[in-house]
Amino acid sequence: MPPRIVEIIRGMRGGGDRNVARLRRKRAITHLCWKSWPILSLTLLVTGYAWMLTIPSTLHGQKTYIDENALQPSQVTTYWGWTDVHRTDGYLDALEALRDRNASGNEYANYISTEFRKLGVPAATQNYQILTSSEPLNGTNAFAILSAPRASGAEAMIVSASRISMDGHLNLRGISTVLSLAAFLKGYSLWAKDLIFIVSDGYLDGMQAWLTAYHGLSQSNIISEPLTLSSGSIWTALNIDYPGHSFSHLGIFFEGLNGRLPNQDLLNSFQKISLYTGGVPVTVYDHYERGEFPDRDLADIPWWVPHAAMNIEAVKEYVYRAKNIMRHVGYQARGRASGVHGLMHQFRIDAFTMFAIPSAGPHGFHALGRVLESTLRTTNNLLERLHASFFFYLLVGTTTFMKIGSYLPAPVLVSTAMLFSGLGEWARARWAEEPVGPDEKEREPGLGTQWVQRKRPVLPAILFVIGTHLNGVLLFCLIASPWASRNKIFTYPFLVAQAFLFPLLLSLATTKTSSPSTTAPTYQILKSINLCLASTVISITSVLNFSLAATLAILLGPPLIWSGPGKYRHIKAAGYCVLGLGWLLLLPQEVQKALWNWEVLGVWFAPFVCTVYVPLVVQAAIATVLIH
Amino acid sequence: MDFHYTFSALVAARALLAFAPLPDALKYSQQLSSPLTSYARLKEGVYLFSHGIDPYSGGLFRHSPLLLSAFTTLLPLKDPISKLLWTACDAAAAWSLVKIWRLRQRVGKSSRDGLIAALYLLNPYLFLPSLALSTSSLENTALLVAVAFACERRSSASILLLAILTHLSFSSIIYILPIFLLLTSSPVSNLASPRPFALDFKGLRKAVLPLVGEYFAYTTVLTAASTLVCGGSRAWVEKTWGSFFLLPDLTPNPGLWWYFFTEMFDHFRPFFLMVFSLHLLIYVLPITIKFQHDLLYATFLMAGVSATFKPYPTLSDPGLFLSLWSLFPETYSYLRHPIVTALIHLHGSLLLPLFNHLWLATGTGNANFFYASTLVFGIANGAGLIDAIWAGLATAIPVKDGDWDVGQE
Repeated sequence: MPPRIVEIIRGMRGGGDRNVARLRRKRAITHLCWKSWPILSLTLLVTGYAWMLTIPSTLHGQKTYIDENALQPSQVTTYWGWTDVHRTDGYLDALEALRDRNASGNEYANYISTEFRKLGVPAATQNYQILTSSEPLNGTNAFAILSAPRASGAEAMIVSASRISMDGHLNLRGISTVLSLAAFLKGYSLWAKDLIFIVSDGYLDGMQAWLTAYHGLSQSNIISEPLTLSSGSIWTALNIDYPGHSFSHLGIFFEGLNGRLPNQDLLNSFQKISLYTGGVPVTVYDHYERGEFPDRDLADIPWWVPHAAMNIEAVKEYVYRAKNIMRHVGYQARGRASGVHGLMHQFRIDAFTMFAIPSAGPHGFHALGRVLESTLRTTNNLLERLHASFFFYLLVGTTTFMKIGSYLPAPVLVSTAMLFSGLGEWARARWAEEPVGPDEKEREPGLGTQWVQRKRPVLPAILFVIGTHLNGVLLFCLIASPWASRNKIFTYPFLVAQAFLFPLLLSLATTKTSSPSTTAPTYQILKSINLCLASTVISITSVLNFSLAATLAILLGPPLIWSGPGKYRHIKAAGYCVLGLGWLLLLPQEVQKALWNWEVLGVWFAPFVCTVYVPLVVQAAIATVLIH
Repeated sequence: MDFHYTFSALVAARALLAFAPLPDALKYSQQLSSPLTSYARLKEGVYLFSHGIDPYSGGLFRHSPLLLSAFTTLLPLKDPISKLLWTACDAAAAWSLVKIWRLRQRVGKSSRDGLIAALYLLNPYLFLPSLALSTSSLENTALLVAVAFACERRSSASILLLAILTHLSFSSIIYILPIFLLLTSSPVSNLASPRPFALDFKGLRKAVLPLVGEYFAYTTVLTAASTLVCGGSRAWVEKTWGSFFLLPDLTPNPGLWWYFFTEMFDHFRPFFLMVFSLHLLIYVLPITIKFQHDLLYATFLMAGVSATFKPYPTLSDPGLFLSLWSLFPETYSYLRHPIVTALIHLHGSLLLPLFNHLWLATGTGNANFFYASTLVFGIANGAGLIDAIWAGLATAIPVKDGDWDVGQE
């Protein structure tokens, strides 16, 4: 056994009196903890980041499977045929005529609702206006409700298409598919749930107006007509996005507002149906699966990867999965919906968008119709809401996913490292090293030092914490105010001053009289509280929104752990300023988008950044520049 | 700053907050009001009562008949009036807390008064239930005023309030013993010099028996009045007091009982109901005996027991325990893990609403999520209670750092 361990064991065992031995053991353990504290904290931090790097690797992940027995995907004979394709083409011609004469959203909606009525499906339109700080959005939604012939209509499913596709083009083929599906599905008596067909105006705004009206919510900045038709509670929704002429693959987009994901069973069923019933391969987003276009695989690999490594399968797989994960994190961390379906998640509707990836061929209305018919038959089978499969997952490939247990430890380990550093700082604040001797005169240099206990007043540090967070609320109010969006150039320096320089200067202006040998310095206590708070934020967020927690862990981990006074404290403070508020100057587009998402869709990313993230960084900066 | 200005400013801030446009979701939050304290249910009961329907004939209304009669005769149950009433009650509770502090320190006023009032009025565990108009705020007020009277040795007033408190919330009977003994001793801190109780058994019997008699007299009057309010029917007893041992309503709350009993087979229910109810009581004697030298501290520990183990807790109960801690600064340096307790509380109080939302609003979680968060919260309360007991005992053994150490045998 190594001598060090023998020594520790001897220290623990002790000799003589039982109580003395126990106290000695307690001290030995405390001593060991104290000694290994920094190493433990560093190990946790490194393990956390290493785990993050392994997430795209083949170490993790398992095949997707269908958990809910009722779904029975791809088990029905489909009847969608070329007659239906022909009818769809007819609708498309009419819609293209509308496009060619530059028709307004209102005209589209009127045409669509008229067509629904011609089919004998009750239909209506809904005008809405959404007031935003920039410009109001107007539009008209058209929708139709086909009552279930076999049931009371207590439940419903949605088939929807927005007028504008997620790539910015018109989604005319999506709309004509919805119209033609209504005509086709009406001919069957097997529906156990009402079918709601929605063609929403705009990209996201129309659907938000429709959904809030359907669920009886009043959102102060949306003025919309009440819906004249109603149905039951909506369980599932399929959103069709088909901007091109033909398509090669169907891509699934599934991220909802504020990071909510649909039940995985829905995506897995669709994947199976699309492949086996429609013959259309499915991709995650519009990322072609590895091996389908070998030359494109190579193009995704960054230039600095050695040439020899490029052809290793594991490397290619890593790059493919990393690409999917980065795209996912991009949507989820910012709480953004990856398509129109994302707005439905807030109402507990499991939904996704099927994106027909534009290409020269080979698929069109025929395949899409069959896939939709079969998917609707599958969701029609449900006896209760989707609940069996996973709500927390990372879809790393079309048929590969990661369970929460395999990716959550990464941010949680980092947050634990921060917690340990914070507790270590708290313990350090307790003790000060003093020269031995009752007073200054009697001290002799040879006597060495002793440790003395100090008081740890938490109130000043807590006031700093509360103050910075309240200041963050003010920052958000200022950024979201119409005044700031009008005079961007002038407000940014002001906002930096308000959010960063002002609290810093104010903290420097505070004074303290007690000596460091009797009372712990405020910066040490502030650093401890700051780390504990940041750790709590990361670990709590991780169960709600993994991507946001991981992003916070990456951004806040080392900077907060290494805050505190030092040689280059002013350079460090400037670094905190860039970390905390750099986005204000570097990403003005992002700021606008995040604010729009907050205003119209209620995404809490923008207020979260202003009232939680920025204050945490400012606290670290204060702990760095404070001298007492 | 003068205490009166600080106090007025705090109360004004609370009144502003009470009238601020806050989300309606607060009113129905399962953390802030339990089935026994919910304002919406109180309104329902008052509505039924004023329309000539016995509110105790259903399973919804579980408030005391006294509240029913008070809100149908004295005060109409209108939102603005209730907001004022609840703020006033919190102000009275904070005032009592400051008074208890002054009596414990034997001073006319101190520099800490403002801080103590602020720790009560600005404690989120306390003001959020109060904003939700949960009647648990009124129970806290009754307890604090009763304790303040007990510290002043105004026994009749104290016992009357105690009788009202136990009438409103039956599990508060655990406070009776420490408060009765407090009435016969003094609130001054004796944590550093523990000694046996001043009176011997005979003297104690002589001092306490009249108090017990008085308590029973008040309770009888209150019970009779309640039965009278209900038109002679005794159904209210089972619906109000009964729910403390029968746990009929399993609406989720931040306590430890509800999930346990949702999972239970029916034939085990009576046994475990008995175990859980007795478990709440077994702390009374040991804590009162161990802290017979400082019964105010024993009362404080009872608040911790109640916050952790009572059948229908809301956030007000741990809030009361934490705010009462401000009365005992002499124990602070003996706390062993205050920052750990604080961190578990922080995690627990963030996880509770989050997991409640994941389960009931977004539907991505399930009941086990919320149950897990109530366990974290339970651990936080337990850690606070254990540390409070340790610090209260360790205050008697002042140890300088160096060669001495205190261990537990």
